Amino acid sequence: MSRLMSRPMLQWVGTLGLAVGVPMAAVIAPIQAAQPKAVAKKTESKRPVTIRPASETTAGGKGPKVTTVASPEKDFRAVAKKTDDVILAELNRVKAPVAAKCSDEDFLRRVSLDIAGTVPSPSEVTLFGIDPSPDKRTKAVDRLLGTKVYAENWMRYWRDVILMRATEMRANLVRKSFEPWMTEQLQKNVAWDKITTEILTATGDIEEVGDTILVMAQGGEADEVASEASRIFLGIQIQCANCHDHPSDIWKREQFHQFAAFFTRVRLQQRNMPIGFEVGSVQGGGDGMRERFQQSLENPEELIRRMDRNGDKKISKEEASRAPGGGGPGLFARIIDLADTNKDGAVTAEELKKMPKQEARPGRGSEEYFMPDLNDPSSKGTRVDPQFFVNNAKPGIGLSDSDRRDKVSKYVTSRDNPWFARAFINRIWYELVGEGFYMPIDDLGPEREAKYPAALDALRAGFVANNYDIQWLFKAITATETYQRQIRPRDASQSTPAFASATPSRLRADQLFDSVLNALGLREADLPPPQFTGNQGPGSRLLRSQRNAFHASFSVDPSTMPEDIAGTVPQALYMMNYPLFAGQIRGSGSTRLAGILQKFPNDKDALTELFINVHAREPSATELKTCQEFIQQAKSRPEAYEDILWSLLNSTEFQTKR
Amino acid sequence: MTTSILEDVTLSRRGFTRRSFLHSVSAGALAAGSVNFHDLMSLQAEELRKDGRAMILLWMEGGPSQFETFDPKPGHENGGPTEAIDTAVSGIRIAKGWEETAKVMKDIAIIRSMNNKEGQHQRARYQLHTGYLPSGSVRHPSLGSCIAKEIGDPKSDLPTICSVGQSPGAGFLGVDYEPFVVDRPGDMPQNVTLTTDSSRFDRRLGLLGKLETDFAGRGGEAAVHDHKRLYEKTAKMVLSPHVKAFDISSESAELKGRYGNSQFGKGCLLARRLVEHGVTFVEVRSNGWDTHQEGFAAITKNAGEVDPGMATLIADLKDRGMLDRTLVVWMGEFGRTPRVNPRNGRDHYPRVFNAAIAGGGSRGGQVIGGSTADGTAVKDDPVTVPDLFSTICKSLKVDPSKENLSPIGRPLKIVDGGAPVAKLFG
Repeated sequence: MSRLMSRPMLQWVGTLGLAVGVPMAAVIAPIQAAQPKAVAKKTESKRPVTIRPASETTAGGKGPKVTTVASPEKDFRAVAKKTDDVILAELNRVKAPVAAKCSDEDFLRRVSLDIAGTVPSPSEVTLFGIDPSPDKRTKAVDRLLGTKVYAENWMRYWRDVILMRATEMRANLVRKSFEPWMTEQLQKNVAWDKITTEILTATGDIEEVGDTILVMAQGGEADEVASEASRIFLGIQIQCANCHDHPSDIWKREQFHQFAAFFTRVRLQQRNMPIGFEVGSVQGGGDGMRERFQQSLENPEELIRRMDRNGDKKISKEEASRAPGGGGPGLFARIIDLADTNKDGAVTAEELKKMPKQEARPGRGSEEYFMPDLNDPSSKGTRVDPQFFVNNAKPGIGLSDSDRRDKVSKYVTSRDNPWFARAFINRIWYELVGEGFYMPIDDLGPEREAKYPAALDALRAGFVANNYDIQWLFKAITATETYQRQIRPRDASQSTPAFASATPSRLRADQLFDSVLNALGLREADLPPPQFTGNQGPGSRLLRSQRNAFHASFSVDPSTMPEDIAGTVPQALYMMNYPLFAGQIRGSGSTRLAGILQKFPNDKDALTELFINVHAREPSATELKTCQEFIQQAKSRPEAYEDILWSLLNSTEFQTKR
Repeated sequence: MTTSILEDVTLSRRGFTRRSFLHSVSAGALAAGSVNFHDLMSLQAEELRKDGRAMILLWMEGGPSQFETFDPKPGHENGGPTEAIDTAVSGIRIAKGWEETAKVMKDIAIIRSMNNKEGQHQRARYQLHTGYLPSGSVRHPSLGSCIAKEIGDPKSDLPTICSVGQSPGAGFLGVDYEPFVVDRPGDMPQNVTLTTDSSRFDRRLGLLGKLETDFAGRGGEAAVHDHKRLYEKTAKMVLSPHVKAFDISSESAELKGRYGNSQFGKGCLLARRLVEHGVTFVEVRSNGWDTHQEGFAAITKNAGEVDPGMATLIADLKDRGMLDRTLVVWMGEFGRTPRVNPRNGRDHYPRVFNAAIAGGGSRGGQVIGGSTADGTAVKDDPVTVPDLFSTICKSLKVDPSKENLSPIGRPLKIVDGGAPVAKLFG
């Protein structure tokens, strides 16, 4: 069984129990409780597990043909098995060596980072290692999915997916409402189609209504909201068809603009003092006064004829406020301010003509959508009505904002739309396994080829049969052998197919931050606020925390290709020299390291404790030897350990999912 | 491994990402037969080390009023209360409040015919930094990042692009060209100061190297390799004598006084020091130019900081023989409305605005283009954003039509369209 059960380990468990002030009995009790008897039931399946024969699967990478899964399996283990079978059959076919199953230590660290966003605590590592039950990995996943940190971890993931591409720089204001909202959705395990629908149809004050995040991030601009909705929820880069037919996909230019027309009546209204935003709608029909008024400004003579009451060929504020179709008193008063060059309080047709053209105000919405004429960019363009590019569904003409967005959310999340589930699965699979079925993860499109398409289809059938149950997908993916493979050295001269072994990947900013806190035994609430580092835009004061300061240096757009992600100099400086961390690696005082040194006079014990704290594993024999030699040459024991702890925190392994 | 080998590896990562490498090969050399990676590298390297050209961008955040800076209209109603002053070049008059800048006008060319359409701060800020309008699907690199990539010295101990205050970053060019941000110019930047003495820091790095071997052997080899490179680069910066460039305390009190004790003044002095120490692109930001109300007083205050900082920077660069290869550009995201609004301010106006250029081989002491008497439109020689960016590229010997590939493989030129302002280089 586990090598952690070896005799020295049991001894070590003893010392750990004492060290963390837990009575030995408390350490042993859960171990006994976990004996086989207690293991058998309490699986997640509500019906008997039936595993289909592997022969049914279609292995091989030929085109993204939808393989019909006879009766969609709802059971995550069965789907995991089927996914594995497809992948393994292909790996065997090309005679690729398949990596072995990873150790318990590696599994626990991996799954803790993936689900809860942090490394496991030393006692979790120990208890997991000595737990003999065969389904302990599944149970660990269940436990982690029930924690609040799971919800927070994935809330941060989706926040970064949406906000790292924000074109509206003040979009950070929406974090105030998005963070608690998304955390709650994930904690309640609200289905992905529901969450998507909320985001696509959101209205309200962005600091109170978290699902306004996408509209806010793109400043309410129809074409940008549409591009991002397609990229995030469907994995289709439809915006490439903005100015020309899609260069590498089937989409036509008109199809992009038809999709954008679903969002044309979205209006992002700004208010000042303090600055804020509200997502609302442009009203169509009788309320389209403002739009019609803007049009009538294009013909000033006509406007004067209509509004001039006293025959002086001028429009005064008073005349404007009484005339029908004057755009309301406020609007025309502004026009007079802008156009009245001789300051007589009224405007002539000449003055109106010379008035500097009001630049279009992006994000304020318009009643209908116009596809720009590329040969004449200043012209109004051609009106297009909403139509969904995947199946060419048309919701109708002249619809209200809420009708348009209700319809588009239904089209997007429909079970008949294969891209919706694929895009989500591909993202989560990539985050967990380190390599996606499609890469880049947000560029699926009909002309791309998925790796192991039948495996993706199996996951999709299960995900759809389970009504887009997010936690179900986590259970299915983490249950695969593919997920549980070891990392292994790569022979650079040979190309190994995807998924033959695990791929080490960089921790995201929040994962790394939480790992640092855990390794140093710090609680986020106890941290002092960071030094003020300059004005970083509206809402930055609200965001002034150690976590956000760290995030500012370490965050990476989660949709970035892994080979394009590299560490930065400021990040390395942060890990090397950040005074807060430096203070916490001291070997004296009230730090965790000082505690370890006091409790473990024996270096082997102390080093083991330190490694478990930082790396969630025991040190290897070589590592022990390296450290012991280092200790002997050092000036003092605390100083040596400070250097060791510094090196562990600054190591590649600490910043990598293994 | 020696430093130079390391740097070549760095260069390969920086100069050619996987895709751009394939792209370059297919474009040219592949047709000619076989070409290896190192040939390509040395080709680029030669160009890179050209002649230490650099750029300092003085960014007026908020949109500086052309009427209260370099295109005053005294006597016209739209000119407001702002008076004009003479400069060292007869015939060129600029707004009162810019007396120091007036003295170095022989080195400055003013463009009074900038014009654009974007009147919203962040979209215009993005456009005036990247040359492109923002789009959620692609994060365009700032021109500074492109310049750092093209002509930055990869052997530099310091980052090739720095910014005093936040700045739009490298976009899809990635972290190597992300500006190194200095929040408090004059002080050492955050985390640059070691927490131990340097010999202990070396010991730590040595131990780190040894402790990496296990993980490298287990399958983390590539990650360990990248990490090691990054740490070597960072350690090199931390331990480099050049890092002192960030600390302005060694400058004479007299010179510091001339630059001014403001954030901006110190930022300008820091910019000169950074360029001296091999940095290719530095942005120095001045805030508070969004003058919708009581604008004249606000601009007087801003000019009190920017005028001495900018003028001293130009003079100082010239004294040190650096001005010819250092381009200084003063600009903001747009101009302000000709009409003074009822709150005694001016609103956003992209149709006419101004910019100022010095050094970098440009011919100073001239005005390019002009606005109409009432300041509502460009009168002659209109200059667009792509024109301005092409001009910058010409000065720095960067090919504006060079394409970078976005993450989904879309080629994007450094500058899309536009032509250099010929009069600047006459």
